[in-house]
Amino acid sequence: MLTFIVRRLLIMVPMAIGISFVIYLALDLSPGDAVTRMLNPERTPDPARLEEMRRALGLDAPMPVRYWIWLTGVVRGDFGNTLTGGVPISRLLLDRLPATLELSVVALFLSSIVGVILGTISALRRGTATDSILTVGGMIGVSIPEFFFGLVAIVVFALHLQWLPVGGRLLPTYDSYWDHLPNIIMPALVLSIMMTAGVMRYARTAMLDALSREFIKTARAKGLPEWRVNLLHGFRSALTPVIVLIGFRLPILIGGSVIVEEVFQWPGLGSLFVQSVRNKDLPVVMTIALLTVILVLVVSLIIDILTALIDPRVRLGT
Amino acid sequence: MKMLKTAAVALLLQGSMGGLAQAEALNGNPLSNVLVRQAIAHAIDRQLIVDAIFGGYAVTASGLLPNGPFKSPDLDDYSYDPERARELLAEAGWDSSRTLEVVYYYDDQITADLMAVLQAQLADVGINITYRLLVGDVAASLNSIPDDPAGMSVVTWDLAYGARAAMVMQEYFNDYGTGKASADGFPGSAELDALIAASNTETDPEAAKLILMQIDDYIDANMITLPLYYQQMYTVESNRLDRNGEPNGNEQFNYDWNVHNWTVSPDADGNQVLYTNGAPVDYFEQPWVNLGLWAGNKFLWAHMLGATPFLDGVTGGDLAETYEMSEDSLTLTMTLRDGIMWHDGTPITADDVTQSLVFALKTPNLHGVVASAFNNIAGAAEYLAGTADGVSGISSEGNTITIRFAAPNANTLIAFTQWGPLPMTYFEGVDPALIQQAPFWQNPIGSGPFMVEEANFGDFVSFVPFADYWEGAPQIDQVVAWASADGDVNMVRNAIANRIDFAITKVVSDIEAIEALDFMRLVPMDVPYTRMMWINQYDK
Repeated sequence: MLTFIVRRLLIMVPMAIGISFVIYLALDLSPGDAVTRMLNPERTPDPARLEEMRRALGLDAPMPVRYWIWLTGVVRGDFGNTLTGGVPISRLLLDRLPATLELSVVALFLSSIVGVILGTISALRRGTATDSILTVGGMIGVSIPEFFFGLVAIVVFALHLQWLPVGGRLLPTYDSYWDHLPNIIMPALVLSIMMTAGVMRYARTAMLDALSREFIKTARAKGLPEWRVNLLHGFRSALTPVIVLIGFRLPILIGGSVIVEEVFQWPGLGSLFVQSVRNKDLPVVMTIALLTVILVLVVSLIIDILTALIDPRVRLGT
Repeated sequence: MKMLKTAAVALLLQGSMGGLAQAEALNGNPLSNVLVRQAIAHAIDRQLIVDAIFGGYAVTASGLLPNGPFKSPDLDDYSYDPERARELLAEAGWDSSRTLEVVYYYDDQITADLMAVLQAQLADVGINITYRLLVGDVAASLNSIPDDPAGMSVVTWDLAYGARAAMVMQEYFNDYGTGKASADGFPGSAELDALIAASNTETDPEAAKLILMQIDDYIDANMITLPLYYQQMYTVESNRLDRNGEPNGNEQFNYDWNVHNWTVSPDADGNQVLYTNGAPVDYFEQPWVNLGLWAGNKFLWAHMLGATPFLDGVTGGDLAETYEMSEDSLTLTMTLRDGIMWHDGTPITADDVTQSLVFALKTPNLHGVVASAFNNIAGAAEYLAGTADGVSGISSEGNTITIRFAAPNANTLIAFTQWGPLPMTYFEGVDPALIQQAPFWQNPIGSGPFMVEEANFGDFVSFVPFADYWEGAPQIDQVVAWASADGDVNMVRNAIANRIDFAITKVVSDIEAIEALDFMRLVPMDVPYTRMMWINQYDK
């Protein structure tokens, strides 16, 4: 296993560089640059001043040179500054990451636990009213967009009942970190709904698949109690694909949820990413993209390891 | 003397209306035929657009200049007349199999609806259009001016929907100059060039007004650009806010709004907290770009001179206690007030002003009107060209700053109502091209009535009164500005939740929503903001 892990880790380096280069190239090929995005299309600035600005920002260099400068900076741990405002990107990430993490960790935790439990119940009660209700609920959860849930939640809980804040993460009146817990509730729950529905549907299918296997019949034939058959044998087997699904959702820890962040005025990395793409602020986009790529690669490795640990039939490196 | 001068200008300009409305296409592009352009104008029912799409919260336009003192009585309003449009098209030999491409850059539903309406109305007279949203480098996609003003069009579009928000009326027309990079699609004319030049150098307001009217008449008669409607701006205010008699004005720019005299009903703790929007997401924008648009600009900065609410005059000094423009409009002298301070408690000096002026010359995004006035300073051209180390026209002695100009400029004084110095000690070693990238903009030290208390970028910025503000400390205890972009999508929601006391909007759905709230009020303002259709008349 150690050889497998080391080999995978070594492969990650050229993969991350290759993917980041492709992203940089794609962004660079789209029309305009950070300077043109700073302009008001209804005004006509002095072209000489703009060229001076491009030179000062290093945007006049060829694309491979700019990519190399960015990459070598990242290797040294220097993510650079935003093109539009000169803000150190590391500081920006540190400012935004807590907002994204607290939202996505809560949502990921809730959706994983609740989704697996409801999916398992749905599978065990297959064909009953409970199963139907959960299945319809799951369909609704994955079908209705997050912004709709978000807006309904705001209208009901913030504007009518006035139980929760209308949006935002911090207020000037907050003295301690815990003061803003009420602000987390709505966005985290809304983000959880769609994720829970997805996990639930996946867990139900995996559980049904597991329960139809021969080893389940064997376990029942051996006279094991039903709860033991279901939970120790069926559930353990069904867990593998569910873990894969949950694992591949981990990158939202970095990327955040753009829609939920926009609806709830939540200053996370998702909205920063979108804003930076709009502004063609390549250093910011590339940094977030690279971190996401690395997280995906690491998660994929962890999933492979976990799968092997859960399911003895899986052999790493084969 | 003034009346004589005005009359003389009017007489001189009478001849400029002579070469109007040639009925033949000037090149292979049918839109170079004025009859086709006039037909398009007659084919569009602007009143329907205003009523159906904008819910009545706009005004149909005739001429580019807004309604009010600059409105020429000689404008043709091109009333909706599809029959007349068909006649003009027939006279022009319009080929109805041709399809025109319309582009726009507002990514909102109202604009998409507008495009559909325009498509239907133009189809009714035999003009087919397709339309598409411009994305990416919008400015370059709009700029239709080839290197050779008589050359082929460098863009594919035929009509472009856009807007002009002007600080001064000359801004409506300056881009129509021959060879000037812009979206107007007009190859230029010597007559119009002369009028534009005159409008920029005429310092007598009445004479300048006549010239501006002449330009609007010229563009209107030749239908060089099709004005569609004037959009009103609304100030959104809660009933908690009391401006105590201080005026409403064009909130996109700086005027004597005297926010230090405003009050807000105290909260449960007895504090007067004003909630607004427009706080920065990642950094404060430097105030020489969008002038009075953002919360940071409005509350943080004082300016050299004061302006009337709609920027049609100078009220007096702001940081400058006195000012004097010479008879020939070539020398401006301003004397700073005694004891004026930056928010860090250091004095605002004449050196700050002169150094800021020199620094501003090389900043890339300086507002057009300010840039036009500053580039006109004697020695500025040499400094920018690198042939001089300083700007010969800028000097100071004690508290007095003297600025000499190379030529008269109609908007010099207005430019100084929108511009104020920066504390230059914080900009040592900063390349002017990278002014916005300076660390200063994370926590700016300003000169206005409020100073930054706390900046939680992306969430809110808190401003508190500056005790040493020269007009006296504000009465409001705290200003909390929510982070937002232009056209804040969360403004209505925040208003319903009692988190907005002051904001501005031009968004129809927001206006309708705010109107339904009994604890909020709307103040409509006729600001110079014209939505129009640029017409590409270059050869194709």
